[in-house]
Amino acid sequence: MTEEEIIASGLLELYVTGSLSAEEIQEVESAMTKYPSVKKEVAKIEASLLHLSETVGGEVSPEVWPRISQKTNNVRSMETPKRNWNALTGWAAAILFFGGLVYLLKQNSDLNGTLRKVRTQNVVINEQSEKAQIQLAEATDLLEVVRSNNFKAIQLPGNVAVAPTAYATVYYNSDEQIAYIDAKGLPKPPKGKVYQVWSLIMDPLTPRSIGLLDASQGNTMEFYKVENVPTPEAFGITLEPEGGSEQPTLSQLYTLGTVTP
Amino acid sequence: MEQPNQLISEMQQGSHAAFSELYTMYSKAIYGVICTFIRDENLAEEVLQDVFVKVWKNATSYNPNKGRFYTWLLNIARNTSIDMTRSKAFKNSAKNLTTENFVDIMAGHDTLSKRTDAIGIKKYIDALKPVCIQIIELLYFKGYTQAETAEELNSPLGTIKSRARNCIGDLRKVLLSNK
Repeated sequence: MTEEEIIASGLLELYVTGSLSAEEIQEVESAMTKYPSVKKEVAKIEASLLHLSETVGGEVSPEVWPRISQKTNNVRSMETPKRNWNALTGWAAAILFFGGLVYLLKQNSDLNGTLRKVRTQNVVINEQSEKAQIQLAEATDLLEVVRSNNFKAIQLPGNVAVAPTAYATVYYNSDEQIAYIDAKGLPKPPKGKVYQVWSLIMDPLTPRSIGLLDASQGNTMEFYKVENVPTPEAFGITLEPEGGSEQPTLSQLYTLGTVTP
Repeated sequence: MEQPNQLISEMQQGSHAAFSELYTMYSKAIYGVICTFIRDENLAEEVLQDVFVKVWKNATSYNPNKGRFYTWLLNIARNTSIDMTRSKAFKNSAKNLTTENFVDIMAGHDTLSKRTDAIGIKKYIDALKPVCIQIIELLYFKGYTQAETAEELNSPLGTIKSRARNCIGDLRKVLLSNK
């Protein structure tokens, strides 16, 4: 059929009313895709029938749609959800705010950490400074002692048999019976041993312990002060077991020096 | 009017907004079809509601290659109306005792009172020959097949198509003169 024949046949009218067989529907549809005029004619037929039935029924009550809408909303899960922009904006603001808060908290924590570190460093530096001042005071005191007229310097050279390179110096004030022992030249005592200082009367040989060179008792410069030192003829230093001995172990005599009158 | 294929496709994909627009476009015409089956206004509205709920639920069963969307709506409307005429509620409604065609309904008192387009209706009534009223009633409103229509009218089967062509042609003239 030509497009005019199809239009004139009445097929298109029955196509719209739904009175055609499946084959005839197929025929109309292919003619519609082929000829725009056929498609247009179908639209016109439909419009006229639509208008006719609109006239038959009149106005539809406005109450019908809300009932349909209520029954059909959310019936099918395929429905695309409407975005609630207000809620989204709110959430976005909340997330930004929270993110900012976390950032500031972290900054604060970092600063506190740095502050703690700096404070610790300050304490350490203060301690070091204090220590240095103490050392300086000690050194100044010792310098005073060494320079003083009241003190006599007695050299204690190393015992060639035991410690040829060792040496010590005793600064002795006979008026006040105070002695300072400079142990710088002694090797570090082995573990469990300690240096003991003796004052000696030579004839007969009478050793008297005047003190132990206990590292914890001395100062950082290995300068030891001993008091109540009786006027001796000589000073000796021996290596003794920890705690010291009653009598000097002469085989471990490190240094010995006589007091020149 | 070209068929709104975009809206139909959106509704098939679940857009309730598209469904709402399609309701606005077609509900009045579909309501008119329902009214030729059911005279009771409340029952007719109930059927209209059922029709569109079915349209929504079965939207994907419409295939654009197997006929017009409006024709698909017509079938649902006719079937739902016929189901209603078999119901208890319908049988208890006194208004449904008389059978009328669409012209009687258009000219009826109760419907006229609600309508503003009285002149347009008059034009339809004047323009349509009695045989056209019958053929449009059967093919369009009641959804009869060609064979059923031919039998009802005592006419040869071959004449139905050309009569439908001529009668709807008369309708279209009325519509053009209304514009």
